[in-house]
Amino acid sequence: MRPGDLLFRAVTALAAFAAVALVVGIAYEVVRQAAPAIAHFGLAFIWNTTWNPITRDFGAGAFIVGTLVSSFFAILLAAPLAIAIALFLTELAPRWLRGPVATLVELLAAIPSVVLGLWGILVLGPFLAGTIEPWLSKWLGWLPLFSGSPSQAGMLNAILILTIMIVPIVSSITRELFLRVPRELREGSLALGTTRWEAIRGVVIPYCGPGIAAAIILGVGRAVGEAIAVTQVIGGGTTLHRSLFAPADTLASKIASSYQGASTKLEGESVLYLAAILLVIALLTNIAAQVVVRRAEKRGVL
Amino acid sequence: MLTKLVNHWKLGALAILATSVVVAGAFASAASPASQRAADTKITGAGSSFVFPLVSQWIPALGPALGIDLTYAAVGSGAGIAQITARTVDFGASDAPMSPDQFSACKGCVQIPWALAATSIPYNVPGLKKRVRLTGAVIASIYLGKITQWNDKALQKLNPGAGLPATKITPVYRSDNSGTSYNFTDYLASVSPEWKSKIGVGVNASWPTGIGGKGSSGVAGVISRTEGAIGYVDIAYALSNKLQVASVQNKAGAFADPGLRGTAAAGATVTKVPSNNELHIVNPPASQKLAYPICTFTYVILPTKTAKAAELRKFVFWALTKGQTYGPKLLFVPIPLPVLAASEKTLLQVKS
Repeated sequence: MRPGDLLFRAVTALAAFAAVALVVGIAYEVVRQAAPAIAHFGLAFIWNTTWNPITRDFGAGAFIVGTLVSSFFAILLAAPLAIAIALFLTELAPRWLRGPVATLVELLAAIPSVVLGLWGILVLGPFLAGTIEPWLSKWLGWLPLFSGSPSQAGMLNAILILTIMIVPIVSSITRELFLRVPRELREGSLALGTTRWEAIRGVVIPYCGPGIAAAIILGVGRAVGEAIAVTQVIGGGTTLHRSLFAPADTLASKIASSYQGASTKLEGESVLYLAAILLVIALLTNIAAQVVVRRAEKRGVL
Repeated sequence: MLTKLVNHWKLGALAILATSVVVAGAFASAASPASQRAADTKITGAGSSFVFPLVSQWIPALGPALGIDLTYAAVGSGAGIAQITARTVDFGASDAPMSPDQFSACKGCVQIPWALAATSIPYNVPGLKKRVRLTGAVIASIYLGKITQWNDKALQKLNPGAGLPATKITPVYRSDNSGTSYNFTDYLASVSPEWKSKIGVGVNASWPTGIGGKGSSGVAGVISRTEGAIGYVDIAYALSNKLQVASVQNKAGAFADPGLRGTAAAGATVTKVPSNNELHIVNPPASQKLAYPICTFTYVILPTKTAKAAELRKFVFWALTKGQTYGPKLLFVPIPLPVLAASEKTLLQVKS
């Protein structure tokens, strides 16, 4: 082999191994720094829902629930919205409209999280507390989810901000998938006499199913890791509430707000324990997405 | 056609050249005072946002007065203690006195009280003509979630004829670790046995109800945007955000405001300073009739062994004496003499 080729191989291999080493190194360092807290609390930390710096009783329970709830509702709102946007852009919009609208949707992803968080505090918060939450409270107040009194900062605000962040990711991936549906399939279905909607529902969407699932999982991964925007609007609550109006906290948001000012060593280590749990959740989400994609590729649909 | 294009290029190049000359000139003129400052000693500090308004008044004065270029980051008392422990800054600042654990982790640090001010209770209830009057017990009940509306009987008794509305009370607290929270919980624990046993005193607490805001500005922001909100914030921030603050009843039975008079009266209750300089002046005895009951000293934390000992001693000595004159317009009261004596004595322990 020529020396140029050898060098090329070496450099690219180094880059790849560096990436692997970085992932392993970060995970190892986080777990190592959290080790005193892990030794102190054990696995009970995961379902302990107290976080009391004064009695030094720390637990991730409330924040794990917060992360799961916020991501679940965010994806519940974002997925249909994103699929609808992708369908509009590939099937239904007039051709001259597709380019500009697609660009604008992707620009939504370009808004920095902290700016979105500021918008959440200054615009969305008052709007929620003044209009949306009273309306929900009036018509759906019997549901424990919408009980309690309206609040500017709370879980609902965080859910909406996360939805805005997830939509561009899922919609751009889904749009690519829809564009790649073979024309023969689509034309064949129309030739059999289906309507446009039946063709979309019966052929396009099932064909792209695994890809859409992977996009959704990636969106969830984004929601799980979002710290700055969430910490600005979620209200920093430390106890579990049933209502979406009440202040709450997620793993990422708690780490962002608490690490710097941790007053005792145990508190700092407990925050790192939260980071370790968050890392595990994020890695699992990503692995799940990869598994889905690989299975779909094997079946020949991706 | 080609000559037209070349001409456009020439014009463009000239424009860029001209702009860069102007910009370079602007930078050069701006850089000359900086190059003079480069000869000053650099001192960095981090910590309490409570003392930040006062420190930022000191910064421009320190250059000409002592040849010190000071930078201060208001990251919160807890972070300030953490940073000085790691020696990533030259001094830390905290409103909460350090605990024995923190002292041992800091490996040879001293805390020196260098400023005195009040924690105000701002609220957002539009349409009231007079300042709202509160007692410690009522504030504790609000934060425990027992009093939930502004027209509650206990509040109406304290404010007869004020026309308190039926709005929900939203207590606001600091979601980050804060010396102001320490002062506030210290006060609540001294006036409410229930608060003392259920919640306790600390830079952060398991707040039973309410919304969290990050930093003094976060809390002040939530209060100004939420009708019916009540919170606690150092008086300088309440002043700059033009928030209405409450009068709080002291042990003598009078309703005191968080101004210079009330804070000075609270500070005057200190006659003896303990060896670790930890001072608590919440809920002061009835002998001081004008005292505002939620005041706190704030501390600068210095390592006893540091290369910049001489500069730090100069700086802190200046802060304890001349620096105090910058305080009153921000409602910081000059520290009382017993505290000044103790602070200066402790300062001598900082050596290189």
